Amino acid sequence: MPTLNEYLLMGGLLFVIGLCGVMIRSNIIVILMSLEMMLSAANLTLVAFWRFGGGEGLPADSYNAQVMVFFVITVAAAEVAVGLAIIVALFRSRQTVDVEELRSMKG
Amino acid sequence: MPAYYLEILILLLGFTMLGIEAFSSNRSRSGIAVLGISGLFVVLLFLIIAVPSSEVPYDYWGIYHVDKWALFYKAIAILTTLLVLVLAKDFSSAFKKYTSQSNEFSGIGEYYCLPIFVCAGLMWMASAKDLITIFVSLELVTIGFYVLVSFMRRNVGSLEAGVKYLVLGALSTGFLVYGIAWIFGVTGHFDLSGIAEALNSGEIEKKPIIFAFALLMVGLGFKVAAVPFHIWVPDVYQGTSMPITAFLSVGSKAAGFIVLLRVIEPFLNSPLTSSSVILILSFLVCVTLFFGNLVAIKQTNIKRLLAYSSIAHAGFLMMALPAMESGFHSKLIGPSPMESISFYLAGYLLMTMLCFLVITIVSSLTDGENIDDLRGLGARSPLLAFAMLVGVASLAGIPLTVGFFGKFLLFNIAIQYAVFSGSWYIVAFAVLGASAGFYYYFKIIRAMYCGGAEQDGDQLALTISTLSRVVIIVLLAGVILCGVFPKLILGFL
Amino acid sequence: MIIDLIVFIPVIAALAIGLGAEGRKTALGAAGANLILGLIVISELMRKGGEELIFETSTVILENPKLTLGFAVDGMSGVLLLLTVIVTFCAVYVSPEKAPDGKVKLYHIAPLLISAGALGAFCSTDLFFLFAFHELALIPTFLMIGLYGHGRDKLAVAWKITIYLGVGSLILLGGLIALYSNLTSAESATFNIADLTAIAETMQLDQEVQKWIFLPLFLGFGILVSLFPFHSWAAPAYASAPTSIAMLHAGVLKKFGLYGILRVAMPMLPKGFEAWEGLILVLLLGNIIYVGFVTISQKYLDRMLGNSSVMHMGYAFLGIACVNHIGWNGAVLMMFAHGISIALLFALCGSLRERLSTLELSEIGGLASKVPFLAVSFGFAAFASIGLPGFANFASEITILFGAFNGAGEVGNLQKAAILALWGVVISAVYMLRAYRNVFQGDSAQGLTLVRRDSLNKIPIILMIVVLLLTGFFPNLILSMLPS
Repeated sequence: MPTLNEYLLMGGLLFVIGLCGVMIRSNIIVILMSLEMMLSAANLTLVAFWRFGGGEGLPADSYNAQVMVFFVITVAAAEVAVGLAIIVALFRSRQTVDVEELRSMKG
Repeated sequence: MPAYYLEILILLLGFTMLGIEAFSSNRSRSGIAVLGISGLFVVLLFLIIAVPSSEVPYDYWGIYHVDKWALFYKAIAILTTLLVLVLAKDFSSAFKKYTSQSNEFSGIGEYYCLPIFVCAGLMWMASAKDLITIFVSLELVTIGFYVLVSFMRRNVGSLEAGVKYLVLGALSTGFLVYGIAWIFGVTGHFDLSGIAEALNSGEIEKKPIIFAFALLMVGLGFKVAAVPFHIWVPDVYQGTSMPITAFLSVGSKAAGFIVLLRVIEPFLNSPLTSSSVILILSFLVCVTLFFGNLVAIKQTNIKRLLAYSSIAHAGFLMMALPAMESGFHSKLIGPSPMESISFYLAGYLLMTMLCFLVITIVSSLTDGENIDDLRGLGARSPLLAFAMLVGVASLAGIPLTVGFFGKFLLFNIAIQYAVFSGSWYIVAFAVLGASAGFYYYFKIIRAMYCGGAEQDGDQLALTISTLSRVVIIVLLAGVILCGVFPKLILGFL
Repeated sequence: MIIDLIVFIPVIAALAIGLGAEGRKTALGAAGANLILGLIVISELMRKGGEELIFETSTVILENPKLTLGFAVDGMSGVLLLLTVIVTFCAVYVSPEKAPDGKVKLYHIAPLLISAGALGAFCSTDLFFLFAFHELALIPTFLMIGLYGHGRDKLAVAWKITIYLGVGSLILLGGLIALYSNLTSAESATFNIADLTAIAETMQLDQEVQKWIFLPLFLGFGILVSLFPFHSWAAPAYASAPTSIAMLHAGVLKKFGLYGILRVAMPMLPKGFEAWEGLILVLLLGNIIYVGFVTISQKYLDRMLGNSSVMHMGYAFLGIACVNHIGWNGAVLMMFAHGISIALLFALCGSLRERLSTLELSEIGGLASKVPFLAVSFGFAAFASIGLPGFANFASEITILFGAFNGAGEVGNLQKAAILALWGVVISAVYMLRAYRNVFQGDSAQGLTLVRRDSLNKIPIILMIVVLLLTGFFPNLILSMLPS
């Protein structure tokens, strides 16, 4: 059975991959996907901490962490819904989904 | 009346307005704005009169916390939203150009409704004392802002600002959630009192909790526009519509600060973490003061200028954060960091809104957002120019305005804390920043009075609606009176 | 109550002008009313001797720390109050009906606000408002120089004075906060100057603490007084500013820094001064000797007057550095005398500017026959500024020198500085007499035109000369109000 450390490592890895995606990629859709990955990494970490939180490998005695995870999932869905709408509007007016081309403001 | 009725009332108001927008056949939407303004005003009255401001803080279900701070920040949220709606109403003529061309008022109804929902989120943030509620209310606000920022669909700048805000906002959310996960992992709690207990129990390790705190600070630093998490601020402020810029600059910042204050308190008071936390905060304060003020010097777009000024003000506000350290508390002479920050934010609300109101009125006519577009305002409209003069003077911290008293309180804390802990470099950065402030704020004053109108086209008479005129005079009086009699604000704290 | 009136009459008048009252008449009315009220205050002070605060009023603004919006005068405040009301009256009197661009409001509001700020700062019983009132002048000065200043670089000059004074006051604010927080405790925090002085006398802060609080205070106040080497804002600003602003700024507002040092820094931090005495003596000699030579080299009348005003501040610092009441009284008398004489000089310079196409000293000459009244009064003002016997300036310089040598068994640093400073009198004689000769004597220069010949505002000029002579022959009128 995997240990807490392995879960945390996995979560951290996912988080870093997501972060790199946001930093490196210029396609907004991919960036949005990377952002979702970061949230998933957080969820994984949360659940892992909850599962191993009660000591001796038993779950913590409250379900706070589960609730938090559900909230994160819901909020992420809302974020994506709004985000995609904005991207569609952007594509309609600029015919691009590339952040490198969004440079009309300087200073 | 329990305090949480206020949020329910606000939500009901929002739904009512949305319903009217959806089902009313009347093409003019200004009725919705008036309904929103008067509704918010009524809720504000409820907050002042009906909600008992009991000395003993009380909790509902362990997630909703009410004390005088919560009520104060709720009042700030409502007042900000009310003023934003006044701005939006003035802005509607310019707004038409950037939405749908076929139907001149399409969409503006939602433009009035969404701030109400954001307001509910801001109010909830003021009461959140639990990382889950903090997260959810923060997201309610942020997602509302995603829509509001990119609302002007035909305006390229607005959409661009929307995308930038979306990406960076979601990024900060990622950091926040990951930080929350780690804090839960280390302490086993989501509620701040539980976290404080765990931090003082001596059973947890230092490295992971500092890691978690740093992640959390990324998320919250984004909200209050602290350097280096400020990169979204200039572009978003410049790109979006004027009322939303004002909303972001005041509402989002105030709510961000109450959350920040609540979150860092247990970390500052625990011997385990306090020294590292103070180090992180001092670093943030210095870079924020430095960048915010120095980059503001060369700005020519007035919204961008105000964006950097907003960063700079975040720096001044954060100056008081390290002084919340428990060892220093009993030695401080004068109002506590919490009181000073709250006073400053209330003053910031008055002066920033005053400036934005003037700029909105001017720019909705001339369509220009550069400092030079304010040229000759002193001759065109003495009232607007004087209002802007007082607002800018207050932002710069000229005495006998509310901005000066706020700065005085913060310097009071920073200098005494420097005597206590030797952190004179923070004071040095603050003095440097405030001096730079004299320059870039006076640039606006110079443009208004010393510029002289260039073309005849600039001599157009400015029309000010009665509502705006009343609001301007009230804000003007507020900035000066609260500067001379600070008890008008401090009395609530 | 009467002091509150004096402080708020200009503010109310400024508001009235802003709302549409007639500009010059309202301002003149307010300044005249203030002059009369000021004389009443002074007569009461003379009767009571000026040791104690009189006409005290206070409104509590905040309990912790205790902030009170309150006014009162003792001898020193009284002298400066008198100076302010006289100079304000004259400044408002000499300013024309309309600004060069035809506007009225700002042109008359600005002097009133500067005057109100100075009055509030001089009479405030509270450290916080002492500071706050002074900065009331910042924006009016900026706007007046930026809008109606003379010369092509007026905007640069406006920036310079604003940034200098802004930075100076920020440093000062830091010093003031450090001062009050070291003197009081969380339970009894107060900003009341009298209380703080009493605490400082009984408590006696450590030498080291005093040293490091004194530095920002002296630096902050010093920048506001144009202490060498932070003086470079002053001369261009005075040269560029409209007449009324130059009169008020050079005559009145600059005295605020000296007042602050005498009122706050010296009584509360005596050991702090001792720690920096050597440096201060060097700086004040810089003011007198270095700026003196700079003044000699000036080519324009207005710049020369601006520099001469910076130079004379050195004597006031010398008086302060005596650390005895004779020297301090001399410094106060100096502030008064210099305030009136420099205001007079700038008023005359202003009327010359209206009449001439240039103020370059080599270009003008022989005006004595064309404008005899100006020539005679400029002569009076120049003699006063040099410090000839019979004028208040002479009395003050003599008092300061007495202070410097008072009880000195041997010649210390202070006495050496005083001896060097004496040479400053020669320097000022050189530039003042040279300027007088250039402008009024000799041949009328080629191509010089008198732009305007209409009648002068003689009343304020005569008033200022009379005050200078009166206090010169009877310096006890002022000195009797000061502690001995």
